[in-house]
Amino acid sequence: MAVVEERRGQFIRQDGKDKVTGLGRYTADLTRTGMLHARFRYSDHPHARLLSIDTTAARALPGVFAVLTQDDVPDVRYGGFVEDRTLFARDVVRFEGEIVAAVAALTPEIATRAAELIEVEYEPLPVVRDPERALLDDSVLVHTGWEGYQANDELVRRGNDCSRSTIAKGDVEAALASADVVVKERYVADMSHAVPIEPRAIVAEWQGDKVTVWSSTQVPFIARSGVATTLQLPESDVRIIVPHLGGGFGGKCEFHFEAHVAALARAAGRPVRLVFSRREEFIAPDHRREGQVVEIETGVSRDGTLIARRARLVLDNGAYAADAPFFPQLAAMMAVGPYRIPNVSVDAHLAYTNTAPSGSVRAPTAPQACWALEQHMDAVAERVGLDPVELRRRNIVREGDETATKQVFTPIAAAETLERAVEMIGYGKELPDDEAIGVACGWWPSFGMPSGAHVKLHGDGSGTIVTGAQECGTGSVMALPLLAAEVLGMRPEQFTVVYQDTDAGPWDAGASGSQTTFNNGRAVVQAAIDVREQLLELAEEVLEAARADLELVAGRVQVKGSPTRGVDITELAGKAAGDKLLLGRGSGSPPAMPDCDVSGCTGRLGMESFLAPTFMTHAVHLKVDRATGVVRVLEVTAAHDSGRVLNRMGADGQVEGGVAMGIGMAVSEGTQLSDDGRQLNPYLLDYKLQTASDVPSIRVDWVGAPTPDAGPNGSKAVAEPPCVPTPGAVGNAIAKIAGRVHELPMTPMRVWETMQR
Amino acid sequence: MRYEAVLNVNGTDYPVEIEPGRSLLSVVRTELGLPGSKEGCDDSECGACMMLLDGRPVNSCSYLALQAQGRSIVTVEGLQRDGELHPLQRQFLEQGGVQCGFCTPGMLISATALLAENPEPSDDEIRIALSGNLCRCTGYQGIVRAVQAAAAEMAADTA
Amino acid sequence: MTATYTAATTLDEALAALAAGSRPVAGGTDLVVGARQGKAPLPDAVVAIHGLGELYGIVEHGGGLRIGALASHADIVAHAAVRERFTALADASAIVGSHATRNVGTLGGNVMNASPAMETGGPLLCFGAEAVLASPGGERRLGLDRLLTGPGRTDARPGELLVAIELPAPAQPGGSCYARLEYRRQMEIAVVGVTCVVALDGDRIASAQVAITALAPTIVRVPDAEAALAGSDGGADAVAAAGVAVATAARPIADVRASIEYRRAMAAVIAERAIAAAVARARGGSETVPVPASPALHGATT
Repeated sequence: MAVVEERRGQFIRQDGKDKVTGLGRYTADLTRTGMLHARFRYSDHPHARLLSIDTTAARALPGVFAVLTQDDVPDVRYGGFVEDRTLFARDVVRFEGEIVAAVAALTPEIATRAAELIEVEYEPLPVVRDPERALLDDSVLVHTGWEGYQANDELVRRGNDCSRSTIAKGDVEAALASADVVVKERYVADMSHAVPIEPRAIVAEWQGDKVTVWSSTQVPFIARSGVATTLQLPESDVRIIVPHLGGGFGGKCEFHFEAHVAALARAAGRPVRLVFSRREEFIAPDHRREGQVVEIETGVSRDGTLIARRARLVLDNGAYAADAPFFPQLAAMMAVGPYRIPNVSVDAHLAYTNTAPSGSVRAPTAPQACWALEQHMDAVAERVGLDPVELRRRNIVREGDETATKQVFTPIAAAETLERAVEMIGYGKELPDDEAIGVACGWWPSFGMPSGAHVKLHGDGSGTIVTGAQECGTGSVMALPLLAAEVLGMRPEQFTVVYQDTDAGPWDAGASGSQTTFNNGRAVVQAAIDVREQLLELAEEVLEAARADLELVAGRVQVKGSPTRGVDITELAGKAAGDKLLLGRGSGSPPAMPDCDVSGCTGRLGMESFLAPTFMTHAVHLKVDRATGVVRVLEVTAAHDSGRVLNRMGADGQVEGGVAMGIGMAVSEGTQLSDDGRQLNPYLLDYKLQTASDVPSIRVDWVGAPTPDAGPNGSKAVAEPPCVPTPGAVGNAIAKIAGRVHELPMTPMRVWETMQR
Repeated sequence: MRYEAVLNVNGTDYPVEIEPGRSLLSVVRTELGLPGSKEGCDDSECGACMMLLDGRPVNSCSYLALQAQGRSIVTVEGLQRDGELHPLQRQFLEQGGVQCGFCTPGMLISATALLAENPEPSDDEIRIALSGNLCRCTGYQGIVRAVQAAAAEMAADTA
Repeated sequence: MTATYTAATTLDEALAALAAGSRPVAGGTDLVVGARQGKAPLPDAVVAIHGLGELYGIVEHGGGLRIGALASHADIVAHAAVRERFTALADASAIVGSHATRNVGTLGGNVMNASPAMETGGPLLCFGAEAVLASPGGERRLGLDRLLTGPGRTDARPGELLVAIELPAPAQPGGSCYARLEYRRQMEIAVVGVTCVVALDGDRIASAQVAITALAPTIVRVPDAEAALAGSDGGADAVAAAGVAVATAARPIADVRASIEYRRAMAAVIAERAIAAAVARARGGSETVPVPASPALHGATT
């Protein structure tokens, strides 16, 4: 860890100067000659049959260049797991943010006016609002023709149940019957939002049959596939460029609106720009964090040994599946948590409703499920008379333990995160009677994906990494030079990074799943090794030494043991520039998924075992105003096992931001819906992010364990894990003062209501 | 109808012709070619659009451009001195105060105004002063560290 | 979209423009935001009044104050006399939006926007404020209670411009406080707000004014709460009785911010805090409860 510490404060992001001077360009800052402005016409009803769309008046408005509906684009259904949607509504609208039509006009004002002039006739249909009721046999169907949709073969679906996963291990019935204590509870989490500060923006421009799309997407290659699929183009005719990206948090994952804007630009014969308002950023994207209903039951023996877990989870899918169908399996794993439990039965469902579609938002399913589980763990501790930390200590997973799907853990540091977090916060210290400390543990997988990169060394000895990786501000791509520099014995500042462009870099899954270092890091290391071999080959000739005797240190290739016999990389690079260029390429297969046994489980969508799992514990010290229910968080400590940390400042920043987001989810961020499924608070005064004065001091420490199937240099996922346990830790602290709050967010009103019971 | 006006931004006079309903943010971003100030919300809640107006931070998204005539406007593009980063700009980088960077222009404006008024702010004074600027990436920790470090640096420079 | 714009340099110019149908704009914080959110389009014609120097000052006269309509919230918070003798108004002005809003947002704009959740309304009402409305025909004075007629509605006539708010000298020794329920420590809006102004006679409360914010269609006084305090020792029983009176008088709505039940319960809680703080300030000077009161009353973390 010493090397890591030295880098703290010295590692400056390459895009940093661009960002602090205001000279960096984000998508909404871009203009193209002749550019038009796009506006969408959204559905006027959360659920209705479309009877007619009349665009005559909109088309007649001076300054309007294109008006599109589903009739104007290829009639293609798309979707990653289920092909359940079209670019524009066809026949039925299923949520308030569904796009019925799109307009391109000379000014944003004209485009807005034209969108209003589109006349749409509807026949309103009953709104499916409650995900639990959606699963009943007599519910109205959100998708009446769902059987006909192409879908992933592993998907278990029925009626409004878009995806069902179960985990079965041991004999839960018998174990619960034999348990000394059984605790059963029900928790309900409201949906919430990613809320990047940059609302999304897209610019599209055609050159002949090729389209270039500048998009505020986290996943350019997936956006490229989406455009290609829906507009029926070869992927090589679609180029996605991502300018500086103003945050994502999962909200800008997946394919969203790039095809709409590209289609408008083609129809108008001009470049077109779309910029979302904050309200649109709330209601239109298919990437909100889903609401959950968690019914959870645990059997435990007197000494606090967990012996059985039964749970039923209902996740609110919203109107379209997006990337959510693997959520039930992931949520089921979260409902078991990082604990040894011999008998498990979890049944998880993803219910279609007429609300905004759910999708991956930073650690999808985990903060909500972990909030329920970790509060439940404290409830269990209370029933058996154990301190909540002690109950966790007795049950938390360690090396050699197995998961509910019988994955056996290699070395992990779950228990160490627990000990470190409670130590840092001074768990057990005397506190005023309106203050308390709550603790929660969590886990999260690393995601193995294909990825690629090139490393080139120029004639002057400087280098460029060309990568398909994308970042949303986390610094994951900015840190790639650390890896290349380490392999080549160079300094990180000697490398620039070319990214943000699907025509330049190899395929990558993008800023999703905390996977950049894990996978693209692997690719960069391999590409750098490729270059290193080329350098060594050159050096062999120059130094007249065998390759096995050579090493790269401090910008030189030298003979091991006699550092005076060496040659500068700069000199070798100059030599190569006149002959065989120094070009490295890397990809490499992701680590294999750990073995597991899923006999008896259904809905296997890739989450049945956790690759290079991360573990974390958060401890939250807070104060409750007993008269009002207002909660003020005073201090948070966070201890994480993400393997070896490559960039301490960047990793700390991920935890600090994740904790702040977790506090928001815990106490202030919730999407409120009307009875007919419209969002009542699509603006920042009433969808309350934590401000600088609300977020307390956050202390972070890393207790990584060496992990055999980790990413480069022993690294595991970093960006998503920090928001997993915070809401649960906040809930446990509140419970000690005000009683247990079973609804998320735990707003002042809900805390107060709990105290009235 | 459009009105002729002169806006003084970062020390430069810009003659413009603008409709009366245009916000200062919109005019500075699109007519003046200074898109460093960002638009993150519709209702003065996020602070990404903050500029200094006669030295005081305002949400330029909610301010009519024509009303800024005759006043001094400073945007993030005007914080550098002689081509060098302002201590706040540099400390934002060194202390991890920048991730996605979208809140950064407004944060820097708020922090500049704070240090002009209160050169030695406490941790809580910094947090209160930056509360009108929402950040989703950093949890504000790196930003608060950066303001503290810049304050110390600026105090040492003037001592 | 606004078609015409005039920047008035004299009050007469401004009044002439208003008479011709223009709408005034000072800081623009409510007007521009409202238009951007689609609540109300910008008026066809606006007259900018920010250049009218005579509308800025905060002037003391005989223990009272005349606050120009263009005084910003920041100006008001910074004014010594406001902090000392009209502390509740400083409490309120200090918690409007963020510092950026307080730099630009004006007292006149806050009052004329007539939101039932506006922070400054309760203090002005309790201090017996009068609005000074100018028109080409001259000035007229109107008590705040008569000016505010409903959500977003005032009794001002077309063509009238609010030029100042006048506050009579408060009875001394006295103290005041405006407190609101705050979910976050900053960037809030009143979900429940209560103002209390008290004057002391020895150990007893000689008179009290209490007003509620965001608890009725307009900001209103609560006579029963005032009666419960007047003549009392300002102790726990009297404060509790006033709290009950406030909760009883409240006519809260349910919305995204709170339920009816919670608002009503909080009406009593916040009333008790505001009253206790006003009494403490009356007895111990303004240092006992810092300005703004709300964060401190919610258990500030520092």
